[in-house]
This record gives sequence, structure tokens and C-alpha cells, in this order.
Amino acid sequence: MTKADLMALMPLIILAGGSVAVLLAGALRPGGWLYELALAFVAAALVWTVAVPASAVMPGLAVTPFFRFFTLFLDSTGLVALLLAAGYNKRRGIVGEEYPATLLFALTGMGAACAASDLLMLFLGLEAFTFAFYILVAVERDSIRGGEAGLKYLLNGTLSAAILAMGIALVYCSRGTLKLSELALQPAAPEPLFLAGVCMILLGLAFKLSWVPAHLWTADVYQGSSAPVTALLSTASKGASVAAVLLVLPLAAGWRGGHDILWCLALATMVCGNLAALVQTGIKRLLAWSSVAQMGYVALAFVALPAGGGRAAIFYVVAYGAAGLASFGAVSVLSDETDRDDIEQYRGLGYRNPFAGAALAVALFSLAGIPPAAGFMAKFAVFSAALRSGETALAVVGVLSALVAVFFYLRVVVALYMKPADSGNDPARSLSISESVALAIPTAAILFLGLYPSPLLELLERILG
Amino acid sequence: MMADLHLLTILVFFPLAGCLLMLPFWKRPAAARPLALGVMTGELLLAAGLYASWQGLAALKPALPGYLLVEDAPWIRAFGIRYTLGLDGISLLMVMLTAFSFCVALAVSWRAIGEKVVLFLMLLLAMETGIMGVFLALDLALFYLFWEVMLIPMFFLIGVWGHGRRIYSTVKFFLFTMFGSLLMLLAIIALHLLHAQQSGASTFGLHELIATPLPAGTQLWLFGAFFLAFAIKFPLFPLHTWLPDAHTDAPTAGSVILAGLLLKTGSYGLIRFGYPLFPQAAQTLTPLFYTLAIAGIVYASLVAFAQEDMKRLIAYSSIGHMGYVAIGIAAWQPVALSGSIVQMANHGVTTGALFAMVGMLDERAHTREIGVFGGLWGKIPLWSFFFLLFSMASVGLPGLNNFVGEFLVLSGTFTRSPLAAELAFVGIVLTLVYTVRLVQEVVFQTERKPLPLPDLDRREICLLAALALLVVWMGVHPAPLLELVHGPVQLLVGGAP
Repeated sequence: MTKADLMALMPLIILAGGSVAVLLAGALRPGGWLYELALAFVAAALVWTVAVPASAVMPGLAVTPFFRFFTLFLDSTGLVALLLAAGYNKRRGIVGEEYPATLLFALTGMGAACAASDLLMLFLGLEAFTFAFYILVAVERDSIRGGEAGLKYLLNGTLSAAILAMGIALVYCSRGTLKLSELALQPAAPEPLFLAGVCMILLGLAFKLSWVPAHLWTADVYQGSSAPVTALLSTASKGASVAAVLLVLPLAAGWRGGHDILWCLALATMVCGNLAALVQTGIKRLLAWSSVAQMGYVALAFVALPAGGGRAAIFYVVAYGAAGLASFGAVSVLSDETDRDDIEQYRGLGYRNPFAGAALAVALFSLAGIPPAAGFMAKFAVFSAALRSGETALAVVGVLSALVAVFFYLRVVVALYMKPADSGNDPARSLSISESVALAIPTAAILFLGLYPSPLLELLERILG
Repeated sequence: MMADLHLLTILVFFPLAGCLLMLPFWKRPAAARPLALGVMTGELLLAAGLYASWQGLAALKPALPGYLLVEDAPWIRAFGIRYTLGLDGISLLMVMLTAFSFCVALAVSWRAIGEKVVLFLMLLLAMETGIMGVFLALDLALFYLFWEVMLIPMFFLIGVWGHGRRIYSTVKFFLFTMFGSLLMLLAIIALHLLHAQQSGASTFGLHELIATPLPAGTQLWLFGAFFLAFAIKFPLFPLHTWLPDAHTDAPTAGSVILAGLLLKTGSYGLIRFGYPLFPQAAQTLTPLFYTLAIAGIVYASLVAFAQEDMKRLIAYSSIGHMGYVAIGIAAWQPVALSGSIVQMANHGVTTGALFAMVGMLDERAHTREIGVFGGLWGKIPLWSFFFLLFSMASVGLPGLNNFVGEFLVLSGTFTRSPLAAELAFVGIVLTLVYTVRLVQEVVFQTERKPLPLPDLDRREICLLAALALLVVWMGVHPAPLLELVHGPVQLLVGGAP
């Protein structure tokens, strides 16, 4: 490994080193400036990614513009999640260095997954961040919900890891290599063993992206874990998984069956996610089902991969990431002391806590795909890719299920602004600076991407080349 | 020269700037109200200035034939979306109506809105930007954006400041509109892709897309999606059910804007986009369009006759009046189309005025039930006078504004489809029936309940006098307006301007 390689890998090295450093700092000075330290490391990785446009190819890892873009996105979400967690955890009494250290470790794993150039490294990256989330989901040790969520996530996660590993093994059996670039060179007729392997890999990834029918963990885990963790889990881990799917899909490029499988996944996910969200009464479960549905639109973009679906998928996941951070961020700000989860408990909060309420409303409009929010441009990109590749039926289903979605997103907005507050009309807690920043970043991103998506779209054009 | 001033951009975004300007006044509604009035008046003056100089602008011959001002800039290159705004006679009329209606909406809610005033003003201003954008956008994607943006403030307006079942009504309104517009979005994208396949150029520009030759079947599907979106806004029978609820539960300002402007975006969209983009499909669906419009007129008039709530009655009358606009568009013939466009403005003014007046009565009596009032002529003569005037205008009394529009629509339609014109004429009689009932029960008769009703104050008189002046002026001397829309109409129906 040369010096240039090290320089190129520095964003990952900073995060991994930071994780260890935070652990050590916690051991030496318990309760010190741990979140600030972790923030500094993430910011350093972020700055490095922007400032040093290096690229390098190493065994198993390839530092490409693709990797750098995803690192940028993942580290930004990590930054916001840390800002949210800092205040939330203090109020909830979640102390200790394990939280920020594990978060940094999760970011390292996600980055590694995006840089993977062979299946083994992809597996390592994916499982590294999933492992970190096993801890983060259950970090609130006294909470029953947290424990339940942790167990559910662990059981589902290990199952998906096993499937993923089996798929990789099958692919290796049939081809004798793990390198993605070599595997993408298709022989005229792919052998059944290889296709079975690819299918199992896709199924493993479907767990991470909570595509129906591999979505059953989502609602319970999102509801049970603390809101800042859900914010990260629902955005960064989806982003990294989308990157992984983009890396793996060339393996199934010439195979019609791959298209058909994704087609069914997209259909089932869009319809089930939106219909299930319709009947939720808790806001976290509603957002969880909505995130399932949103991933259905990403699947729709993957179906249209040859017609520019890759760009649409990444744009969608970025727009969703901003909305997810803003919505779960607002929920974590609004629900930190009392376990406010029922939608009816959000009555009138739009006035009592104007900024957090507005951030939540903007995020919901973005999730519903209503301009001028980023979600509209994302849906626009996905639908135009789908129509271009001739998936008219799927696009129509997508649009109609988006209409269903509008209804349940509006329910939350209605509660926030149109129903009188409950009797306890106590003046709302004013936000701390870190919370305001954590809400302002994604909200600004939603509006910016909704009104002027050109820079991002052109960047994606160049990355996907 | 004038094109370099970016007047259209200013026209669209000046209210939004005003909306942001409200933020520092968050806790000071007393200062925010005059400020909002200033912004809206400025916008009205700008629109009036454009009107004053339209013949000079037309002589300059800008980039697109028939347009007075055009602005064009790349916006989202990756999608082929451009920021194209264009002003022609039809848009100018709608722009003036918009600027005017918002002043009316602000004036009627000056005292009626007492809570969350600044938020209310901000939403009004944001909505003005959205509606201005709808009437000026010439890029389909940009049009769609504004089309959706204007919904959000209205959603809050009804939901937060409305009465009765406001939440049900506002969600219903939002979902109905979204249903149509989402399918239209797919149609817009499909049209864009078909054009790109044929010509290789990626564009959403209206005037590029008009030239796309489409097979008849495709055209029918795409036009169907556009038609659905616009028909819901219109609203055409049987897609109208959101309207009575939304109108009844909206605050007065919301009703004024709904009736005056949002309904017009539907008819405007059909004139500007639907018919020109898909002429053959539109021809095929003309009988259906006639049928729905006439059914709407008859049905709405009959239902209006049975209403007990004044606001609901006027809401149903709106459906009927928009039916004439629909018939004029369906005829797609110069005289009828001019009539439709003028009728859009007329209906905006008269129905806006009627809603404002019912709002004033509601503020005093806290009820809108027809059966409660009676004998108002003796108690509040000024109010009664104006109410009678606007009701007569609404019926289509010659000399007042609606007569002009309805007459043109019917005489134009007669050359195309005598049957449709005759049936629509019967509708006018039905209009007369329920309006006379309303006026007779409320203004005349004997007093039913002793209500302490003060007559109009100075603000209200000024507002209604301005509206009345317009009603008379547009009825007596409609030539300037007809001249304004003459050129664009000739271009649309295909003929020498």
C-alpha cells in the first residue's frame, strides 16, 4: 500500500481512528467532550473528502468519485445525527463513550461498503455497519422497547448476513473470483449457480433496504430505537445499501430475471409501504412504513437502471436522506423528555415549537413529493427514468400509491398546525444551538435540492460516467 | 428594453419577497397588515402598468408570436427544464385578476382574521407567487411546479382559519387536486420523452412540445390525464364534490381566492396547455366535455336552489358559472373562447364579491343560514344594495359583466353546436331561479329574527365600490378586454390574428 493509497483512504482511516480515539478518551476522561471530539473527526473526514480529490485502487478497495460522493453524503448524515444525539442523549441519560465511538465505526463500515471492489469487502463493510447498529439500536439499556428492537434487528440482521454470505459463496463457486469488475463480464448464458448467488445477494441487500417482503423488522426497530439512531439508520444505512446495490447490479445486467425480481420488489414495496403507513397511529411507525415505501421508489429507479435509473436512485436516496434526518430529527427534538409518539400528541406543536414543527412539515411535504421540496425532484427523476425504460404500469402504480402517501403525511401536518393543543399548554423548550443546526442543515438541503437540483444532478452524471 | 427588466420574474417573485419580509414582524400583526397590503398593491400597480403598456409591448414583437413579454433561462439542464415565463393577453388578464383578487382577499380578512395573523399574510403572499407562476409559466415542468406550490398555502388557509369541518374539507381538497395533478405529471414526462425520441431535443417548453406529432391513441391517454387534472380544478361534474366543502369551510379570503383564482387555473390550463398540445384528442372528447359542462350547470343550479347555507349556495353557483366557461372552451371557436376568457375574469370578480359579502354578513350575524335573515333591505340598505347588484350581475343582467361573457359563449357555441347552446341557455333560467330565491329570502321578505346588524363600514364600502365599479365597467365597456384577448385567441384557434 503506497503513500498515495493511504492519502486516498484517509476519510476511512480518520473515522476508524476517531472511533478508537473516542473510546480511549472516554476511558481516560469519562464524560468529557466526547461528542465534540467525534464531531471533529467526522468533520475532518468530510473536509478531507472534499479537499483531496484522490483516487486509488487497492486490493478489495477502490477509491473512486463514486466512493467520495457517498462518503460525503454519509458523513454529512453522521454529522447531523451526532448533533441530534448530543442533546438528546444527555436529556435521556444515555452517557458513555460507546455511543459516539460506535457511530463513527458505523460510518467507517458504510464507507468501506461504498469503496468495495470485491464481494468480500462489500460484505465486510455492510456487516460492519450493521453490527454497529445492533449496539446503537439497543443502547438505551433500560428501555424495554429498545431491547426488543435490538433483538429483532439482530435476528433479522444475522439472517440477512447469512443469506448474503451464502450468495457470495455461490458466486465464488461458479466463477472462482470475487472481484466485481471480473464478475460483471457476462458470459452469453449465466450459469444457474451464479444467478442463484446473485439472487441471494440481492435478497440480503433487500433486508438492508427494507424492501418488501424483507421489511418486517423496520417498523419495530425504528419505533424502539432512540430517535437520533433511527435518523441515522433510516438515512445513512439506506444510502450505503443503495451504493452496494449499484455495485452489485452489474452482475445481473444482462439477465431478464434480475429485472423481473426488482420489478416485483418495487411494486410490493411501494404498495405495501404506503398502505401500511396509512393505518399507523404512532409517528415513528408511520415514518418507518413511509421509509419502506420510499425505498420502493428507489427500487423503481433500479428497475429503470439502463435508462438513467442509477442517477435517479442516488438522487432519491439523497433527497430521502435529507427528509429522513429532518423528520426524525424533529421527532427527537419534540419527543425527548416525554415519549411523545402518538400523532395526536403532536397537536399544536407547530406553534409551540415553530422551528422544529416547520422542519417536520417541510420534511413531510418532501416525503410526499410536493414541490418545492427535494422529494418532488426525486420523484420526478425516478418517474422519468421509469417511463423512459418503458415501465409505464409501474410508474402509474407508483403515482397512485404516492397519492395514498399524501394522505398520511398530511395527517401529521394537520395535527401539527390545525388541531388545538392539549390542555397542557406549557411553553415549549427552546432549541439548543446543536439541535437548531441539526435541523437547519437537512431542511436547507431539502429546499435547495428542490429548487436547484442541477449541481447534484450534474455531479451524479459525472460520477456514474 | 422592458424585457431586460425581468418584469415577469418580479411579477412572480415580488409577493414571495414580501412573504419573507413578514418574518421580522412575526409578533407584530398591526405592522404586518399594512406591509402586506403595500406588497399586494404594488403587485396590482405592476399588473396595471403592464396593462397600460400592452399595445406598446405587442408592437415590439418579442421572441414568441402573440406574446408581450417572454423570459427564458436554463434551470435544470439534466432534465431539460427551463425557466420560461411568457405574458400574452390571456395571461395578462389573469395576472390582473390575481393581483386584484388578492387585494380583495386581504381587505375582507383585515379584521376577520385575528389569530396567527402574520402566518396568514405570509401564506397569502406565497400563494400569490404560486398563482402568478401558473398563469405565466410556459415550460410544462415549471407550470407543474407552480401548480402544486399554490396548493400548500390554500391547504393551510382552509385548515387553520376555516370553520366547521375544516380539516375534512381541506384534506379532501388537497387529495382531489393531487390525484389529478400526479397523473398529469406522468403525462408531462411522457410527452417530454416522446418529443425527445422524435426530435432528439430534451425539452419541456410548451411551444416545442406543441409540434410533437403523436399517434391518436397516445394523444387520447395524455390528454385524458391533463383533462382530469384541469377538470378537477374547474370543477366539472362529477369531480366537483370537493368544492362545496372547501368553499363552505374556508375563511372568506380563502373562498375569494378559490372561486376567483384556483378555479381559473383549471380553465386556463385547458386553454393554454390541454387544447393546443392535443388538438385531435380534444376534438374527440368535445361531446363528453359538453355533456359534463351542461350536466354541471343543471345539476349545480338545482342543488344550489336547495341550499340553506348562503356560502354553499354561492359555491354551487360557481360550479354552474364555470360550466359556461367550459362550454366556451369546448366550442373552441374565437367568439366562444373570448367569451370564456372574459367570463373567467367576470366570474372571479362577481363571485369573489358575493363571497366577500356573505363573509361580512357572517362576521356580524355569526350565521350564514338563509332562513335566519330577511328584510335586510330595511336594516342594512348599503349591504343589500351591493348584494342585489352582484346577484344581478351573477344572473347575467345585461349591462353588468357576466352578461358579456355568457352572451359571447352562447353565441359562439351556437355556430358549433346549437344543441349545446340551447341547453346551456336553459341553464341561465335555472340560475335566475336560485338567485332570485336567495335575494328574495335574504334582502326582501319580512325580518325573521331580530339581529343587531350594523351596516357596512368605510373599509367595506371602499372594497365593494371598487368591485361594483369593475362589474359595471366590464359590463358596459368590455371592448378593451376583448381586444386584449383577441390576438392570443386567434392564434390559439388557428387563424390570422
